[in-house]
Amino acid sequence: MKNKLIMAIALVMALVAGWTATTTTAQAATDDSLAQVQKSGKLVMGTSPDYPPYEFQATVHGKSQVVGMDVAVGKKIAKDLGVKLVVKSMSFDSLLVALQTGKVDMVISGMNPTPARRKNVDFTHTYYQGGYSIVINKSDKGIYKDKDSFVGKTIGAQTGSTMYTESKKQTSGTTVKGMTSVSDLILGLQSHKLQGVAMEKPSAQAYVANNKELAMIPSNFDLSASDTSASVAFAKGSTSLVAAANKSVDQIRKQNLVNKTYLPAAGKYLKTNTVNTSMLHYWKAFLKGIEYTLIITVCSVFFGFILGVLLSLARMAQGGVFATALRWLATAYVEFIRGTPMMVQVMFVYFGLGLIVNLPALTSGIIAISLNSGAYIAEYIRGGINSVDKGQTEAARSLGMTKGYTLRYVVLPQALKNIWPSLGNEFITLIKDSSIVSIIGVSELIFQSNIVRSDTYRGVAPIAVIMVLYFIMTFTASRILNHFERKMQHD
Amino acid sequence: MTKPIIEVKDLAKNFGDNQVLKNISEQVNPGQVIVVIGPSGGGKSTFLRCLNLLETPTSGEVDFDGQNLTTLDTKKVNTLREQMGMVFQNFNLFPNMTVLENIKLAPMKVKNISDADATKRAHELLQQVNLDDHADAFPTSLSGGQAQRVAIARALAMDPKVMLFDEPTSALDPEMVGEVLNVMQDLAQQGMTMVVVTHEMGFAKSVADRVWFMADGYIQENNTPEEFFSNPQTERAQDFLSKILM
Repeated sequence: MKNKLIMAIALVMALVAGWTATTTTAQAATDDSLAQVQKSGKLVMGTSPDYPPYEFQATVHGKSQVVGMDVAVGKKIAKDLGVKLVVKSMSFDSLLVALQTGKVDMVISGMNPTPARRKNVDFTHTYYQGGYSIVINKSDKGIYKDKDSFVGKTIGAQTGSTMYTESKKQTSGTTVKGMTSVSDLILGLQSHKLQGVAMEKPSAQAYVANNKELAMIPSNFDLSASDTSASVAFAKGSTSLVAAANKSVDQIRKQNLVNKTYLPAAGKYLKTNTVNTSMLHYWKAFLKGIEYTLIITVCSVFFGFILGVLLSLARMAQGGVFATALRWLATAYVEFIRGTPMMVQVMFVYFGLGLIVNLPALTSGIIAISLNSGAYIAEYIRGGINSVDKGQTEAARSLGMTKGYTLRYVVLPQALKNIWPSLGNEFITLIKDSSIVSIIGVSELIFQSNIVRSDTYRGVAPIAVIMVLYFIMTFTASRILNHFERKMQHD
Repeated sequence: MTKPIIEVKDLAKNFGDNQVLKNISEQVNPGQVIVVIGPSGGGKSTFLRCLNLLETPTSGEVDFDGQNLTTLDTKKVNTLREQMGMVFQNFNLFPNMTVLENIKLAPMKVKNISDADATKRAHELLQQVNLDDHADAFPTSLSGGQAQRVAIARALAMDPKVMLFDEPTSALDPEMVGEVLNVMQDLAQQGMTMVVVTHEMGFAKSVADRVWFMADGYIQENNTPEEFFSNPQTERAQDFLSKILM
């Protein structure tokens, strides 16, 4: 019975997803992309800012912002269109989805216009022709010469990137390991889990220039032009926007702006970044991370609790067809949420729900985590209500109190006391699990630490810092919860 | 002559296949003290709980003050329940509230009485059950006898017309039974209508106006206490009394 129910839900969700997908293609067919951007007055650019010198985080006038040659390209396009550029950060994997779901207007992230990608999005002419290099540890310099020297060894590349695909295709006997961020790859290299990391030449140059332990070698990959060039991606069918952007891109090529202006400017930011790489220098970034982590956790627990109370009541509804339907729905919801990964739920809310209403990443994150947490809290509350002696309800009802009053003044306060330790557990788990929303670009603690890592080219220190910060948060939270638990004891 | 305050007509209650109450028809007049006695498992508690609809009767009707409870909507039933105080075997005090808060809760939430008035009335009731010095204690710190007296005060706070007692002394240590029975006796003398399910034969003898002997789902005998204890009519009652009275 239960399985049938879950199948039914899956079917409904698939239908919803299918329906929303068709609506987007329908939208794309009538191309008003350029007009829309001009109307809104801003051009939203999606990028994954952990890829210097293409794009990375730097402190400019005391404020952390995304800079690099791709941002310069984006600015130029926006300026030529007469609109403002808005930069949105997210992981490289999420970029194309964000483009397809309208979260961003364009993607500039050192992206190669491969045939596979062309099927899903439209590309401008290439604004930069690069090449691949492999970064290795300096101590290994004599050992590796190019891609073919890694037989029996492991090389790394960014997941979802062309380097990753080509490294798999064009090496034999070599293990290719994919990771989401380049800083993680470099860390893997330095801890000898990887022997080499394949990346774009300008990035490799930036890393080698800023880290004395590293060296670079040519990759000698056999690459067609499309694999080494970088283009701006737009949503499929936005012909007018692509045509407008092409004008800017052509100018960039003609005047050689990338090599003459953009790269040197990016280099300067890189230098300011690496002047001071002490963790203390980045306290603002960490503080912002803590702030967002706490916002997400507190909001999610709050809404999750309300949802949990409603769900648990629905699960215990008695009598009538309506009550039965309600009970079934609530049970199905709880089973479904508990049976799917929170990461998938976060992505579904941000990208999936985003097709219908355009929600900011933070809001999506809070919604997804509240929905998730509500299912778990519902089960705690149900257990808590069942743990309250039936005599309590009878006593309250015999005094003329309604069902609602009985629940509110007699049963729930006692249930809450019984489940307080479980609720506290959920709260502390959420402080840690809220890190999942970093994948949609919410600047919580994990996201911020990744930025600090790519800014400073230091792999371990930021991780150590956030570990301590997480512990301080969870420990403080558990002290506070204990305090209230003691207050509720009357024996 | 007087209109009965509670009238039960053909009341029956099944739990699954188990028929616990079989067509009971009786009435309680205002001011009467009814003591229901009988062997365990005879349906006494279920009968009492049907009177204020904590158990829903399977068939038959329960009239309270001229209104048939079984056909009323929930809201009406809630209002009529206020007028029937109930005292439980296990006290069922709210452990998360002080004695005073236990008593004040229903008057304030159900009758919208002000905090000041409810507090005043609660103190009066606590004086009546000799526990005013425990007003700010939590139930866990009370003895069984004290807890049951608080429970009685809590039920009285709603100014009920009838008080139902479901084995009020069964969970108590023997030396505490007296203090609870005294409070109940005082209440009876003040003219409160009471239906008491109990095993305290002494209480039945001295306080009851009528004794209902209940066994096997029927009220087997309805008699005055003098008649019932000296000259029981039914064989079932004779058998029961011979076992408990030695």
